[in-house]
Amino acid sequence: MGLRGQRAVTLSSGQAVRFLVALIGGSSIAFPAQWVHGIVMPASAGSDGLVTWAGMDYERTDLSVRLKIVSKGSSPDTRLILYGNEERSRSFAVDKVLGLLDVERALIHPLPPQFRGKERERLLGFFVDTSSVALIANPFWVLELPLRPHALEMFAIRFAERKPGESDSRLHVPVATVDETVSMSTSPVS
Amino acid sequence: MLRSQLRRQSHSTASGATHARVQNMVVFSVAGKRLAARTEEIGGVLPWPGTTAVPSDTPFVTSLVRHEESCLPVFDLAAKFNRTVGEEESLCLIVKHVDGPLAICIDAQVPSLHVVPRSEVQYQNGLDPDIAGSCVAGDEQLPLINLATLGVASQRLA
Repeated sequence: MGLRGQRAVTLSSGQAVRFLVALIGGSSIAFPAQWVHGIVMPASAGSDGLVTWAGMDYERTDLSVRLKIVSKGSSPDTRLILYGNEERSRSFAVDKVLGLLDVERALIHPLPPQFRGKERERLLGFFVDTSSVALIANPFWVLELPLRPHALEMFAIRFAERKPGESDSRLHVPVATVDETVSMSTSPVS
Repeated sequence: MLRSQLRRQSHSTASGATHARVQNMVVFSVAGKRLAARTEEIGGVLPWPGTTAVPSDTPFVTSLVRHEESCLPVFDLAAKFNRTVGEEESLCLIVKHVDGPLAICIDAQVPSLHVVPRSEVQYQNGLDPDIAGSCVAGDEQLPLINLATLGVASQRLA
C-alpha cells in the first residue's frame, strides 16, 4: 500500500480520522492513531510479554489470534504497538507498520450489513486506499473495553478548525527503535 | 455485458399476459454447479476484481471486493456448496440483495438468459431456504436460488 510515513486520503475539508496502518498477515488493519502511544521492537517486551514504556505498563494481547488472522510470524519488520487510553493499555504485535494516514470521514465506510457476526464488534469499517482496502479495528475492542456506539466519531479531527502550522497535541506519537523509513511526523495536514 | 441483454429482454417481455406467464432467468455456474436465478435479482456481471479478506464469523461472507468508489461484501456461494472456485478465471455477479449490493464469484462462462414458462418453475420449501425450488431452462433442470435473500433466511434458522 505504500503508506510508510504520513499521508492523507483526499483531504479536502471537514472531518478526518488519523490511523496508524499496519499489516497483520495479509490484511491491512487501521488503528485510530490517537491511542497509539508508541511503536517498539519486540525485544522491548519482557519475558512475560509486558512492555514498560515511559512509566506505563502495556500488557500483551495477541491481536492476530483475536482477529482470527494468521500472522506471518516474527520478522525484522515485526513491531509492537503500544496502545491505550486513560483507562487501559495494551501492546500487540503487527507484521509491519505501514504508516500514518489521515482519511476523510466521508471516505470511511461501515461494514456492509451482510456481515452479521462478531466481526461487527471487532471492526468499525473500512476505507479504500489506492491499491488496497484497510479494515478499521475497533479501538475499544482492541483494549478489551466495553464497546461504544459511534466509536469512530470520538477520533474525528475537524481539520477546518486547525490553523496552518498548528500541530495537534493528541497526536504526538513517541516512536522507539523504529527504522528511519517509518517517520511518524505529527505535523498538521493541510 | 449482461446488463444490455437484461434491458432488451425486459422490454420484450414486459407487457401484460406474456410477462405473467413467463419468468426471466439467468443461468450461471459456480465451481461447475449450474444454478438459475431470477433476472430481477441480478445487477450485472463484471470481471472478478479480487478480494480483501475480512476476519468474519458470518457464514460464507468473509471478504470484500472493490466496486466503483467503495467495496461490496462477497458471498462465497462455492463454499456453501462445498466447492472451490478458481478466482483467476472468474466473473463477479452483482446481486440486488435485500441488505444492499452483494458480489458472488462465478465461473468464467458468461451467464445465459432464459425465458422460462411459469409452468416450468417449481417453488418448494426444502431444507435450504436459499433454494427457492427448481426450473427447467434450456432443457436443464436447475436449482433456483434466492439471490436477493442469500444468507438471510439460513442465518435465521441457524
